[in-house]
Amino acid sequence: MESMGWGDFLIVFACCAVTMLVCRTVPLFVLKGRNLPEGVERALGFIPPAAFAALVANDLLAPGMFDAGLWPAAAPLAAAGVVALVAWRTRSLLWCAVSGVASYALLMLI
Amino acid sequence: MLGYVAIGVPCGILCDSIGLGPLQVFLLSALFYSGAGQFMIPNMWLAGAPIASIVASVSLVNTRQMLYSAAFAPACRGAKKRLSFLFAATVTDESYGVNVSKFAEGAWSVRRALLVNVLSQSSWALSNVVGALVGNAVGVPLAIASFAMTSIFICLLVTQKVTPENLVAAGVAIVGVFACKAAGLAGPAILVGALAGVAAALLFSWARGRG
Repeated sequence: MESMGWGDFLIVFACCAVTMLVCRTVPLFVLKGRNLPEGVERALGFIPPAAFAALVANDLLAPGMFDAGLWPAAAPLAAAGVVALVAWRTRSLLWCAVSGVASYALLMLI
Repeated sequence: MLGYVAIGVPCGILCDSIGLGPLQVFLLSALFYSGAGQFMIPNMWLAGAPIASIVASVSLVNTRQMLYSAAFAPACRGAKKRLSFLFAATVTDESYGVNVSKFAEGAWSVRRALLVNVLSQSSWALSNVVGALVGNAVGVPLAIASFAMTSIFICLLVTQKVTPENLVAAGVAIVGVFACKAAGLAGPAILVGALAGVAAALLFSWARGRG
């Protein structure tokens, strides 16, 4: 794995910071208290569940993931199940990160 | 505020794991300032996503801030432009929640709301830098670090509102990512999957509204 150099970093950083600033400030001044169009508001609301699901799926699923045997692919899935349970009970990012790392490390030892 | 430290330190450690230095981590968390976004960058980088795909995906997730910005417009009506701008530029998921309830109670000003934001931002930036320094000194194994990011995303996913539309969005996004990978398009998989999920949820809610 190659580490991220300054050039790549600056591109990602500048682009993300600018879109973030635009998204944070422009509606406040342009709308002046009017609501966003209903369709736009609805679409924006769907972005977080879709984006987070895509990120999780990208980490956990791949075609041919069971080719190397059942366990190497099933262990992260099992750990993910533990995290989902913790997330549902505690709703805490910190506990999820801790329990995720702990269960992943334990399952990989087996 | 403690929550920021608790998540900021791991976030700094993870950024360190892809070779970002403390200065870069500080710039990111002080100026970009987004928990989910700052976890996404190292995560997608590790997954081998091209730069353009990282930028597009992170920006897509940024757009939810437009909802917050629009929501604060009535409260900022009487305030000075520069103050409102600074306030709007420092809103996050967490401080949005705090300030919305304070504004609803009344007796809350844009100036005080800005103070809440700036305090949250400084504790976020500081704890990120501490994390980067710790990560640098300790050397966390990459597999562990990357599963910590996966866990964060699982938490963010599970804590979304459970509505039929959101389930459609998440389900189609998962299928979309898998399909992209199967087609050999691993780089843009996250972006394509997420967009497919949003489109499907829009269609679904439109169909439900008519039916």
